[in-house]
Amino acid sequence: MSKTGVFICHCGTNIASALDVYKVAEAAKAIPDVSYAAEYKYMCSEPGQQLILDAIKEQGLKRIVIAACSPRMHEITFRKMLKKSGVNEYLLEIANIREQDSWVHEDTGKATEKAIDLVRMAVAKVQKNEPLKTSFIPVTKRALVIGGGIAGIQAALDIADAGHDVVLLEREPSIGGRMAMLDKTFPTLDCSACISTPKMVDVSAHPNITLMTSCEVESVSGYIGNFKVAIRKKAKYVNHDICTGCGLCEEKCPVKTDSAFNRGLSKRPAIYKLFPQAVPAKPVIDKESCIKIKSGKCGLCEKICPLGCIDYNDEDRLVEEEFGAIVLATGYKLAEWQSMYDEYGAGRFPDVIDGLQFERLVNASGPTEGRITRPSDGKEPKTVVIVKCVGSRDIKKGHPYCSRACCMYAAKHAHQILEKIPGSRVFIFYIDVRTPGKGYEEFYDKTRKDGAVYVRGRVSRIYKEGDHIVCQGEDSLLGRQVRVNADLVVLETAMEPSEGSAELLGLLGCAKDEDGWIQEAHPKLRPVETQVGGVFLAGVCQGPKDIPDTVAQASASAAKAIGLLNKDEMETSPMIASVAEDKCSGCGACEPICPYKAITLERIPDREPGTGRKIERPAARVNAGLCQGCGACTVACRTGAIDLLGFRNNQILQEVDALWP
Amino acid sequence: MTYAEKQRLMRDRAAALIEDGIVAYIIGWRETRFPDKTAVFFARDKDDAERLVWNEYAVPLTAKYMTGDRWPDGKIGVFARGCDSKAINRLISDNQIERENVYIIGLPCEGKSDDRCLTCRQKDPVAYDELLWEPDSASPTVAGRGRFFRTEEVEALGTQERFDYWEDVYSRCIRCYACRNICPVCTCRECYVDMHRTGFQGKRQDTAENRVFGVTRAFHVGDRCIECGECERACPMGLPILGQTQKIIKTVERLAGDYESGMSPDKENFLGKFDKDDKDAFM
Repeated sequence: MSKTGVFICHCGTNIASALDVYKVAEAAKAIPDVSYAAEYKYMCSEPGQQLILDAIKEQGLKRIVIAACSPRMHEITFRKMLKKSGVNEYLLEIANIREQDSWVHEDTGKATEKAIDLVRMAVAKVQKNEPLKTSFIPVTKRALVIGGGIAGIQAALDIADAGHDVVLLEREPSIGGRMAMLDKTFPTLDCSACISTPKMVDVSAHPNITLMTSCEVESVSGYIGNFKVAIRKKAKYVNHDICTGCGLCEEKCPVKTDSAFNRGLSKRPAIYKLFPQAVPAKPVIDKESCIKIKSGKCGLCEKICPLGCIDYNDEDRLVEEEFGAIVLATGYKLAEWQSMYDEYGAGRFPDVIDGLQFERLVNASGPTEGRITRPSDGKEPKTVVIVKCVGSRDIKKGHPYCSRACCMYAAKHAHQILEKIPGSRVFIFYIDVRTPGKGYEEFYDKTRKDGAVYVRGRVSRIYKEGDHIVCQGEDSLLGRQVRVNADLVVLETAMEPSEGSAELLGLLGCAKDEDGWIQEAHPKLRPVETQVGGVFLAGVCQGPKDIPDTVAQASASAAKAIGLLNKDEMETSPMIASVAEDKCSGCGACEPICPYKAITLERIPDREPGTGRKIERPAARVNAGLCQGCGACTVACRTGAIDLLGFRNNQILQEVDALWP
Repeated sequence: MTYAEKQRLMRDRAAALIEDGIVAYIIGWRETRFPDKTAVFFARDKDDAERLVWNEYAVPLTAKYMTGDRWPDGKIGVFARGCDSKAINRLISDNQIERENVYIIGLPCEGKSDDRCLTCRQKDPVAYDELLWEPDSASPTVAGRGRFFRTEEVEALGTQERFDYWEDVYSRCIRCYACRNICPVCTCRECYVDMHRTGFQGKRQDTAENRVFGVTRAFHVGDRCIECGECERACPMGLPILGQTQKIIKTVERLAGDYESGMSPDKENFLGKFDKDDKDAFM
C-alpha cells in the first residue's frame, strides 16, 4: 500500500451538482492503495491547496490523486503546490471529473459511477508514476520577429527597449506592412502613415534592432531558448551599404510594371522603393521585370548611379542565426474575391475594387494623390456601393469567420467618400454591423448621420449597365429586391493568412486552425503563445483583428518573449520521450514521425551477443530540448522501446486494467 | 534452362565466390529427408556448395537468416529471388542489415509449388549484385490469383460470419510465434509479446489473448509487409495470416495508390511517416 491521497473537488456546483462527490470520496477510501480521501468546494483555492498540503503532512501521503477539472486547467497549479510538500510533483494524477463527466452527463447516478471509475484509474496509474526532475537549458538572449508590419514593428521595439537584441525579418524590401498602405485609421481618423512611419524610423534607428528586409526564413531547427534559423537574404542588386537612396535610378528606369503596393492601380519602375517613406529608404531591383537581368541590355541605373551601387550579379545568400525566442507576425492578405464571386463580375469590371485598393485611391501618397476616382475613366464617382462580408461569414463561397475590421473601415470609407465628394451617395450592404471597440459605435453612428445608407442584405449580383455598375441585392428589412446604379463598388473582402504562412508554420512545427490561422496554445489563457515553446504570435496571423488589437497583442507577445529572454537558463518539462536503448532495434520508425525533429538515429557502442565483441549499432536518441512530449514516437515504436515519461506504456496499461479489473 | 542446369550454375558460382573470398559464406537451400521440402542452408566451402539445390521445392525465404549475423566477418552471400530481394531491401531500410555486408546473387524465379507463391508479383530479384541467369521476360509474375484474393474472400462474408470466422481463427491459434520468427520484417530486439513486465500481451492461452496478438502483429508488420507469405507457410495451424496483413496493404493502396513494400531500400512506411502535406480529411 502506497499511501495515496484522493481529493475530490466540487468546483462550486460545476461538479457537485451533477454527481455525488461524497459518494465518490467514500468509494475512493475503499480502494486498497488509498489511505486518505477528502472532498472540498474548490480544491484549487488557497484553503483547498492547504487542505491537501495538511493531509500530506498529517497522513504521510506519498502519491496524490485530484479529481477535478481538466489537467489543462490546474495540473500546473497543483504541481507548484506539491513543490512545497516534499512529494515529487509528478507523483500526481488528475482525474478529470468535470469536462469528461459532470459537464457532459445528465444522469447523476451514472455520472457518479463514472467519477469513481476515473478515480480508480487515476489511483492505479499514480502507483506506477515515478518521480521526475526538471532540467535546465541555457537561453540565447536574442529574438527573431518574423514580419515587419505594425505587429512585428511593435513587438521588435518592445523587446529591443527591454534591452534584448532583435532581428526584424521582412520579405518585402521595406517594413510597414498593410498599415503603410492605409490612408486614415478608424475611429479617430489619424493618418496611418503619420502614426506608423515614426515607428518604422524608430526600428531602423534602434541600436538593439537588426533590420533584415527582402529576407525569408529557409529552415528552423532547435528549440525554445536555442533556435537555429537559416535566413535567405534575397538578392537586392543594390548595395545598401553605400546607397544613399537618392532616387536617380528610379527616375531613369524605363520599365513600367504594376505596383503591388498600389494594388495594380499604378505602375512602378523595375528598380524601386516600395513606397516613398520606405524603411530602409533604398531601392531594390525586381529581377522579374528588370530588362538588364532578363536580357542583358539596358543597364541605365548602373550608368546613372553616382556611387556605383548597382550589381546585376547579386545572388541570394543563406545565413544562419541563433535565437532564443521567435515572434510570428506574418499578417494577412485579402481574399482573391475574383475567383470566389463570379456574380460580382470576377474582376471583369475595373470599377469594382477591394478595400485596400480604395485605401490607395484615397491616400495622399497613392496613385491619384488622394482623389477618389474611378479606375476605368478617372471620373469622380457620385454613387458608391460598399459591400461587406465578401468572403467573410460566407460558408458556401468564402470563410465562416468574421474579418472583424471591415465593419469599421467600411464606415470609414463611407465617411471619406461623403467628405471628399460633395453630393455623393454611399450605400453599404451589410449582414450585421459589429462595432465592439472604444469609440467604434459612435463612429458608425456619425457615418449614418453623415448620410451613409445602410442596406441590410447581401448583394446577389453586380453587373454593368451603360456607364453604371448595378448592384442588386435583397433589402432584408424591407423584404424586397433593391438595385443601386453605382459608379464605384468597394468590396470589403475577407482577411486570409498571408502567402506562405502554412509553409512557415510547417518549418516551425506550429499548428494552424481550420481556417489556416496560427493556433494559439490556449484561446483564453495563452492567447499569444503557440503550441511550440518559445514561439509567440502577434497580430492578424492568429486571426483577423484591427490595429489597436494587433498592437496590444504585439506588446503582449513581446512581454512573453522578454520574460523568456530575461532568464539565463530555463526549466524544461521532464515529460518527454525516453529511449530504452537495450530494446531499440534502430529501425528508425520514430524518426520521420516526430513533428519536432527531436529524434535522430545514432550509432551506439554495444557488444555482439554471443561473442562479446565490441560493435556499434543504430539506436534512436531523443533531443530533450526539442521533444515536446507529444508521444507520437511511442506509438510508432513497435517494440515499445520509446516511452513518454509520465505516460509510460505500463502506466497507461495499469490505468486501462483498472477500468476492467 | 532446366532446374538441373540452373542448379549446376548455382553450385559452381557459390564455390567460386567462396574460394575467391568474395563472400564468407552463402545462404541457399539443401535437400531434406522429405522429397518435397528443402531447408535453408549455409554453404561455407566447396563441398557445401555441392549440397545446394534449386528445384520447385526451394521455397523458404533466405533473407531473414542474415539477421543472425549482423556484424559478419566478410560479406554474406545470399541467393535471392524476387521475394528474398524485397526482404533484403526491407531489412536494409529497417536498419537491420547493411548493404555492403551482403552479396546478392539474383535468381529469377520460375514460381514454386507453394501457396505462398500464388500472389507473387516479383519473381525476378529487384536488387542484386549479379544475376545467375536471365529472367524469363514472358512471365515476370506468377500467373496465379489476384493480389488480394485472400483478403477479399473474408471481406465477402457478412458481419456475423466474419466475426465467427475470426473467432474460429483465434480459437485455433496456439501462439507459437512461428509467424513472427520467420517474418523478414519482424526484427525487434525484444518483441512486445515477450515484455511481461509492461504487460502488453497476456500469457494466457485463450481466444482473447490470441486476438490481441493477431491484430497487433498485423499492425506491426502492416505497411512494411513484403507479402512473401512465409507467415502462412510457417503456421502449423494453417491460419490466414497474410490475408489479414493484406487487408492493411489494401487500405494503404486505396489511400496512397500503387504500393508495394520492399521494392527499394529507401524508407517507405506509408503509415509511419509524418508529412505536413498529409491528407487530413478527418481533422
